[in-house]
Amino acid sequence: MSNSPTYIARNGSDLRTGSLPVRSAWQRRWLPVAVVLLFAVLFVVAGPVKAWAVDEGQQTTEDSAVNDEAGFGLNAFVRNNAGTARSVDGADIGYRYPLQDDANLVVLNIPETADAQGTGYVLVHVDADAAEAAGLDLHDTGDTDALRALIEELDRTHSKGGAVLADLAEREWVFTTDDAFVIGPYCFRFSVEKAGGRYTSIVPADLPEGAEPRDQAELLGLDLGGASQWCSNATLVPSADVSTEAAPGVWDNLARFFSSLDYRPFWVSLKTSVLALAITFVLGLFAAWKTMGTSSRLKGVLDSVFTIPMVLPPTVCGFLLMLLFGRATPTGQWLISLGIDLVFTWPAAVISAVVVSFPLMYRTALGAFEGLDRSMLDAARTLGWSERYIFRRLMLPLAWPSIAAGTVLAFARAMGEFGCTLFFAGNYVGVTQTIPIAIYFQWMGGNTDVALFWVIVVILFCFLVVLFINVYTARSQRYRARGITRRSRRRGRAADQASPATDTASADTVRLDQEALRALLAMPADVVDEKQVGAGARGENGRSGGDRPGAGGMGGEA
Amino acid sequence: MKRRSFVRLAGALGCSLALAGVVAGCSNTTTTAEGSAAAGSDTGSAAAQQVELQVFAANSLEKAMPEVEDLYTEKTGVTFADTQYRGSGDLVEQMTAGAQVDVLITASSGTMDDAVEGSLVDESTRTNMFVNDLVIVAAQDSDVQINSLEDVANVEGNIAIGEPGAVPAGRYANQSLASVGLYSSDTGQDGAYADSIASRVNQAQSVGNAAQYVASGDCTIGFVYSSDVYRYDGLKVVYTVPADSHSAIVYPGAVSANSENPDVAADFIDFCMNDEDALAIWAEYGFELSEE
Repeated sequence: MSNSPTYIARNGSDLRTGSLPVRSAWQRRWLPVAVVLLFAVLFVVAGPVKAWAVDEGQQTTEDSAVNDEAGFGLNAFVRNNAGTARSVDGADIGYRYPLQDDANLVVLNIPETADAQGTGYVLVHVDADAAEAAGLDLHDTGDTDALRALIEELDRTHSKGGAVLADLAEREWVFTTDDAFVIGPYCFRFSVEKAGGRYTSIVPADLPEGAEPRDQAELLGLDLGGASQWCSNATLVPSADVSTEAAPGVWDNLARFFSSLDYRPFWVSLKTSVLALAITFVLGLFAAWKTMGTSSRLKGVLDSVFTIPMVLPPTVCGFLLMLLFGRATPTGQWLISLGIDLVFTWPAAVISAVVVSFPLMYRTALGAFEGLDRSMLDAARTLGWSERYIFRRLMLPLAWPSIAAGTVLAFARAMGEFGCTLFFAGNYVGVTQTIPIAIYFQWMGGNTDVALFWVIVVILFCFLVVLFINVYTARSQRYRARGITRRSRRRGRAADQASPATDTASADTVRLDQEALRALLAMPADVVDEKQVGAGARGENGRSGGDRPGAGGMGGEA
Repeated sequence: MKRRSFVRLAGALGCSLALAGVVAGCSNTTTTAEGSAAAGSDTGSAAAQQVELQVFAANSLEKAMPEVEDLYTEKTGVTFADTQYRGSGDLVEQMTAGAQVDVLITASSGTMDDAVEGSLVDESTRTNMFVNDLVIVAAQDSDVQINSLEDVANVEGNIAIGEPGAVPAGRYANQSLASVGLYSSDTGQDGAYADSIASRVNQAQSVGNAAQYVASGDCTIGFVYSSDVYRYDGLKVVYTVPADSHSAIVYPGAVSANSENPDVAADFIDFCMNDEDALAIWAEYGFELSEE
């Protein structure tokens, strides 16, 4: 906070050296290794999430299975985990499961509670003609065992995470070609056609002529839906007709994964944070500049107001924005009547990002501006420069490393914004769903691999951004490095005891600023130094800093 | 000098805005490209009506609903904006805050009552769409045994329950816990858990989060719907909560009061309930359509 040059000489230099582009050979070698390591770690982490099945040649499609020895297989297997007691077109046909048009095989999982016997059944109905065509003999245990194995295999792959038949070993398997089958108080009708659809329906076994199944079930105290836990249907075909496809390799799986991804969160994140950054950058610098020039009391107030979004939890920011713009409050109503309806729109996401990233930009810029040598700014004023010109030609270039750091921080904050955005802009895919929000909702939705993909994208992207800014800063500050190295070389010749390392560390702001100032003003070194010394006379620290032998920029030059 | 610097400042501002505009433009072109590709695959009727429905659906419908929507798009050409799947209470809050909605489907009568009270939906279109069961789930490889609700207190580890204000499943769970004295309020809301479980209850912000906490092993058991088992890998039902221990689980649907296409919205609800192919999707995901 202090404006005295001593402060700058002591602390400002520490800040600066961090961003000085003095890269050792070690750093240059280390960087690619780090990148490769990062990729390797991510690949290893990402690896086990997807099962990379490697199979050669042909395989049955997802909904099919075949037993070549038995000579038949199943196509178009579907497992219905729930049915409905809802009427079809006004007609009550009991508790029903939908049936595909060409299905000729139905599997019902009947729990032990459905009959008195206590073991439960797996009831398999096969259409008699289809069985004959496929060469399936229901009286041959070899055939029925083969069919059972096919059903258990497909049931497992179609369980969607639910229980599977293969684990219900105590169930008794019953095979039938009859159109209806009675177990306990329930009658299972395998193929009921109604209003253009086919269903497997469950009705009470004791169903008088003309009675409605649901009414009768209620009368008897039967729970028709409880008579079956799930119901599958498929098409039984000879093994030659089982549909097959080329077995997908690792690359097919990868291609399928990447083509099924929704990339919109990336674009939303990018455009939200870039626009937010542009706004934050301008506002943050402007606020820092103006705050610096105000009286100390007002400055305290402004400083608090500008900084508070940084210390507040983002949800509080979101809540406040919601209060300000939401429909539920008078201010929101008023703004909406003016046509400013922002809640759950993309501008809301941008505003959220600006609010949370602004303090970072503002604080770093203010810190950098206050770290500048006051006497130098005064020197510029004596040259008749306007405040704006000083800001643009002197303050901005000199404070640039800190501003760049602040920009990176603000960008990272805008990119990573979650709480405030979710609160104020919601989670609309392709509109306000940024990558952080996508990660959370994909993870919570059980899509761990998609969440992981976005995590990797964020890590890589942020890595690239930081790298870019660092390289760019290094480039834009190269003139300083050149100045230092030339100087240290020269001094190295003149005085052996000062090593280049200590020289770099002790390269204080005053000297650096003068280097830059000289370059900017394109004046001979001695002229500036004289002005500088004269201007710095009111705080004699400026002189003492300059007179220090180790840091002796002026002394040496003049 | 002043004028010139002002011009430059304005120029810089303009540049940054233009840059943002370009970025926005890029992403817009990608989305429209996707949009037109999708429209291109539709046949005939798509051109006739360009209606886009915004659906707000209970979180448990997250996996099944998109398939039904795709089916509806295929059959009628009506497209869907990004459907919101959050806790029903959150959805109603989001509507109160001013979100544009066409169809609202919640997971409890109570949350739909709130929407009706707030004049957020057209009450005449309200209809019960699904019924569901409340179950206790554990991770697939867990050996937790639960034979009654009282056993919940003896389970080691955390218990995932939806936050009752926003998540109907959490409220149903609390009602059933209240029936055995593990929760202090019969309504399932605004109460406190018994000391034996209080410190172990992890309140999830949607029923899906509760399921995910269990699937990922962060919680030992969780109270979710039976249909949630079919949308998360690695879950198994260890206990089906008796239906008489909580209020009936129904999913009411209604057309939003601020819908711009109330007829299409009503038609979509009807399609969900009565179309044979839609039924096949609900059945696969374990959703039982309500009787009437």
